[in-house]
Amino acid sequence: MEIVLGNAVVELLPQRAIYLLQHSLLVIADLHLGKGMHFRKAGIFIPPGSAEKDYTVLHELMLRYRPRKVWFLGDLFHSVHNSDWLLLQAFILAYPDVHFVLIRGNHDILAPEHYTALSIDVVPERLVLGDLVFSHEPLEHIASGKVNVAGHIHPGCLLRGLGRQSLRLPCFYLYEQILLLPAFGALTGLYLMEMTKRASIFAVLPERIVLL
Amino acid sequence: MNKWAEDWFEFKGWKPYPFQRNTWKAIAGGYSGLLNAPTGCGKTYAIWFGVLADHQKRYAGKKKRSGLHCLWITPLRALSKEILNATTTVSEDLDLPYTIGLRTGDTSAAERARQKRQWPEALITTPESVHIMMSQKGYADAFKDLQFVVIDEWHELLGSKRGVLVELALSMLKQINPQLKIWGISATIGNIDEARNILLGAEHPHATMIRANIVKKTLIETVLPDTLEKFPWAGHLGIRLAEKILPIIDASHSTLIFTNTRSQAEIWYQHLLQVHPDLAGAIALHHGSLGEEIRQWVEEALHQGTLKAVVCTSSLDLGVDFRPVDTVIQVGSAKGVARFLQRAGRSGHHPGATSRIYFVPTHSLEIMEGSALRYAAGHQMIESRLPYIRSFDVLIQFMVTLAVSDGFRADELFEQVRQTHCYASVTRKEFDECLLMITRGGRMLEAYDEFHKVVAEDGLYKVTDRRIAMRHRLSIGAIVSDVMMQVKFLGGKYLGSIEEWFISRLQPEDSFWFAGRNLELVRVKDMQAIVRPSGKKKGIVPSWMGGRLPLSSYLTDALRHKLNEARQQVKDRELDFLQPLFEEQKRRSYLPAEQELLIEKVWTKEGCHLFVYPFEGKFVHEGMAAIIAYRLGRIRPFSFSMAMNDYGFELLSDQDIPVEEALLQELFSTDNLSADIAGSINTTEMARRKFRDIAGIAGLVFQGYPGKQVKARHLQANSGLFFKVFQDYDPDNLLLKQAYEEVYDFQLEIVRMRQAFERISTHEVILKQPEQLTPFAFPIFAEVFREKFSNESLEDRMNKLKAQLEQEEPKHGDRTGKRRR
Repeated sequence: MEIVLGNAVVELLPQRAIYLLQHSLLVIADLHLGKGMHFRKAGIFIPPGSAEKDYTVLHELMLRYRPRKVWFLGDLFHSVHNSDWLLLQAFILAYPDVHFVLIRGNHDILAPEHYTALSIDVVPERLVLGDLVFSHEPLEHIASGKVNVAGHIHPGCLLRGLGRQSLRLPCFYLYEQILLLPAFGALTGLYLMEMTKRASIFAVLPERIVLL
Repeated sequence: MNKWAEDWFEFKGWKPYPFQRNTWKAIAGGYSGLLNAPTGCGKTYAIWFGVLADHQKRYAGKKKRSGLHCLWITPLRALSKEILNATTTVSEDLDLPYTIGLRTGDTSAAERARQKRQWPEALITTPESVHIMMSQKGYADAFKDLQFVVIDEWHELLGSKRGVLVELALSMLKQINPQLKIWGISATIGNIDEARNILLGAEHPHATMIRANIVKKTLIETVLPDTLEKFPWAGHLGIRLAEKILPIIDASHSTLIFTNTRSQAEIWYQHLLQVHPDLAGAIALHHGSLGEEIRQWVEEALHQGTLKAVVCTSSLDLGVDFRPVDTVIQVGSAKGVARFLQRAGRSGHHPGATSRIYFVPTHSLEIMEGSALRYAAGHQMIESRLPYIRSFDVLIQFMVTLAVSDGFRADELFEQVRQTHCYASVTRKEFDECLLMITRGGRMLEAYDEFHKVVAEDGLYKVTDRRIAMRHRLSIGAIVSDVMMQVKFLGGKYLGSIEEWFISRLQPEDSFWFAGRNLELVRVKDMQAIVRPSGKKKGIVPSWMGGRLPLSSYLTDALRHKLNEARQQVKDRELDFLQPLFEEQKRRSYLPAEQELLIEKVWTKEGCHLFVYPFEGKFVHEGMAAIIAYRLGRIRPFSFSMAMNDYGFELLSDQDIPVEEALLQELFSTDNLSADIAGSINTTEMARRKFRDIAGIAGLVFQGYPGKQVKARHLQANSGLFFKVFQDYDPDNLLLKQAYEEVYDFQLEIVRMRQAFERISTHEVILKQPEQLTPFAFPIFAEVFREKFSNESLEDRMNKLKAQLEQEEPKHGDRTGKRRR
C-alpha cells in the first residue's frame, strides 16, 4: 500500500518494511537478527530455525525490489557477537552493489569493526532524506513539515468487534509527524498502540496491508 | 515408650493422643510412613520425639556431633518458623544437645556458611532450598549422616510441581543413604494411600500409615443478604455483605477472613475500614505479596490475640496455629470441600473445640454453594490431589542443578528418577531427549552452534560456565510468577512486591492500594517502585494473576444435587432464600432437573450467545466450550468468544449459532471425543498458557528475582514467543508435548470431562430462547476472562472487524505512550 509522506511516496510492505521507489531505498526496523543464538549461547534452548525465516524474507525483498540502498532503523543484530553473525555476513555479501546503512539502536552494541568489515555504514542517530527523518527511537522534536520514520516500539494493534472478537496484528502507526514501522524480526513481540482516530493505523496481514 | 516425650508432655500438663504414641513406636521400630492428622493436634510432636529418640539411641555418650540428622521440609516459610520454635522449645526444656537450624530463601549467606561449617542436627527447610543445597559442590557430604526426612503438609505439595521437587530430592537422598526414613504429614485427602506411596516409593519395605482419627466438629453458616432482590446476579467481590460480617467479628475473639485473591483481600480490608472506621488498628491484612516483616508482624499479633480480624488469602491456609482465632469467614467460593474444611479448621484449635466458618457468597447463585458445602462435608466428600507425572521441565531443572554442583552420570540418574512416581513411565529415549536439550540445545544441530549449557566430560555431565551456574541457582524452584517489582517507601522500608506489568501502567503521582495503604508512585528505578503514603481515598487495586481454581467434582456433584432439591422444593435455608431467583429463572427460561441439560440461546447487541449449564466446574466447562466450538466450526467457519464459570459456559458469536435440538444432541455426543478434544486444544490458548510455567521451570525464561539484580541483559522474551517458536520449529519437543499433557490432566481434567460428556449424553437437552439474559446466564455473561476459538481465515476476520469498526467509534485503546525495548 502506498502512502505519501511529505515529498516522498512510501510503499508499506506486508513483509514489515517500507520501500521508497524514487530513492531505490528499502527501510527495515528492529530485525533482532542473532537473537536466537544469543539465547542459545546463554544456555536457553530455543530451537534454531527462526533465523532462517528472517533471511528468507530478506532475500525475497531484495530480489523483488532490487534496492540500491538498504537502511536498517536500529536493532539489526541482537546484542553481543555470536555465530549468527556469519548468516548476516552471508546475506550482506550476497548484495555487493547495495549500500547498507545502520542507524544504531539500543541493541546494536557491537564494536564498529564488525560493521566496517561488511561495509555497513553506521550512523549514530538519524538520517535525513528530503522531508523524511529516519531514526531508531522516535524523535522528541521534529521540524515542521518533516516526518520521522522510526522503529524501536514494535507497534501492534488490537481490533475489537461484535461477539467480543479481537485480533492482534503488527502495524504501521502514523501519528502526527511520526511513522512507526513494525518490527521485522521473527523473534520479536508486539506493543499494543492506542487505537485513536487521530492515528492512521495500517494493520499487517500475511499478504497485504489494511488501513483501519 | 518414648521417655522424653512422656516426661515432656507431663511437664507441659498434656496427655499424648494415641496417634502420637503410635507414631513414636513406629519410628522406634524403624518404619517410614504417613501421618494423617489435622492441623493443631500435635502432629509435629508425634514425629519429633521419634526423631529425637533415634538420635539419642545412635549418639548418646558419643563426643562427636552427629551432623545433619533430620531434614524437615515444609511448604511455607511461615510454617518453618513455627516448627523451629516448637522444636527448639523441646530441646531447651529437656536440655538436649540437639540443635535446629532454619534454611529458607530468607536465610542469610553468613548463616548458610555457618551451617556448612557445623551442621545443626536438624534443618527446617523448603523443597526449593533442598534443591539449592544440591546445587552446591559437595552436597552429598552434608547429607551423609541424614536419617530422617519429614515432609510436612504433604497433601499441599502433592498436587503441585513442588511435590515433584520433593520426589526428586528424596530420590537423591535415598541414593546417599538407602536406610533413610521418610515421614509425611498430611491432612485427609481422597487419595491418602496414593499420597503415601508416592512419598515413600511404592516398594518401601517398612511403610506404615497412622491416622489421628480426631474428628473435628465444624459449623457452616451462610451469610445471607437482607433481601435477594438487591443482591447482584454476578460479581466476585462480595463486599455488599461486609456490614453483615461486622457483628460476627464483634462477637468473636479473633477472626480470619479468607478471600480467594490478593486484590480481593486488599479491597475487603479497605472496605471494612470504610464501613467501620473503629476497626482501624484492630484488623490487618496478610497475603503472599506483602513483605516478610509485615507478614511476621501480623502472624505475631494473631498469636498474641491482639487483632480482632485479619483479611488474608491462602497465605494463612496452612499449618501455623493461631490459638486465639475462634472464627473463620470465607468470602466467595472456596472451590473445594477439603480447602473449605481446612480453612474452617483454622479456628477452634483446642481439643474438642468446634470450628466455626461463615460463608459469604459474592453473587446470588453462589448462595447455593453454602448448602452444597454442608451436604458434601456431611457426606465426607473429600477431594483427591492429582499428582503431576512426567514433568520434564522439573527433570531438566534437576539435571542442571546436579550438573552445577558435582555433576551426574546419565545411566545412574535415569535409574534413580525412574524410582519416583513422577518419572516411573519415562523412557530412556525421553530421558535422552532431556539430556540433548541441556547439552546441545535440542535435537536439531546448526552449523556454528554456540549452545553449551551442560557439557559431558568422561560421561560426567557438568556446567562449566559460571554465569550459567549462577543464573540456574537463582532460578531453582517450581513456582513461576510474573516479573515482580519491589515496593518500597522513600526511606527504604520494604512493603512487598507487585507484578511489573501493573506498575508499568502507572505514571508517577498515580495512587494505588497496596498493603492496605493508599500509596503514591514516586518513581520506578531498577525493578523497584518507590512510593510515599498518599492521603487520597481513591486509587487502583493491583490485580494479581492466578487464583482461577475450578469447583471440585465433589462440590459440583453436591451442587447438582442441591439444584435438584431446589426444584423439588426441599426445605433448606439457602435454597429457600433463593426460591425467588429460581422462580425468575423458570419465568425467563427453565429450571433443569437432574436428568436434563439446559441450553439457552439469547441475542444481545454483542451477538448470538449460547449458554450451557452442565454444573461441572470451570475447567471442564472450558474444555467443553472448546469442543462444542470446534464441532460447530465444522459446520461452517466461526469465531467464538467463550466464557465460563463453575455452573456453565457461553459461546458468543457475531453470527447466528445453529441449534436445532437434534444437532445439540450431536454436539454433546461422546463419539470421536478424543479426536475432537485434540483438535479443540490446538485451536485455543490452553497449551500456550501451560507452557508459561514450563518455560519458566525448564529455564527458558529467566525471571530474575526482586532485589536480586542479576545481569540478564537482552535475554528477556516472553513465554508466548517461545511457545510459537517451538511450535513452528520444533513441534515434537518434549516440553511442548508436556504442555499439552498438562492441559489434558489439569486444565481439561480429562477423566472428569469424559464422565461429564457421558453423563450429559444420557440427558435430555432442553433448548430455550429467552428474550433476556437469565439469572443463570448473567454471571457467565459478566465474566471478563475469555477464551477464543476461530477457524475463520485471518482475512475474513480482519474484514469483518474492519467493517464493524467503520460503523462505530473506535473503542479506547489499551495502552498509550512509549516504552523501552
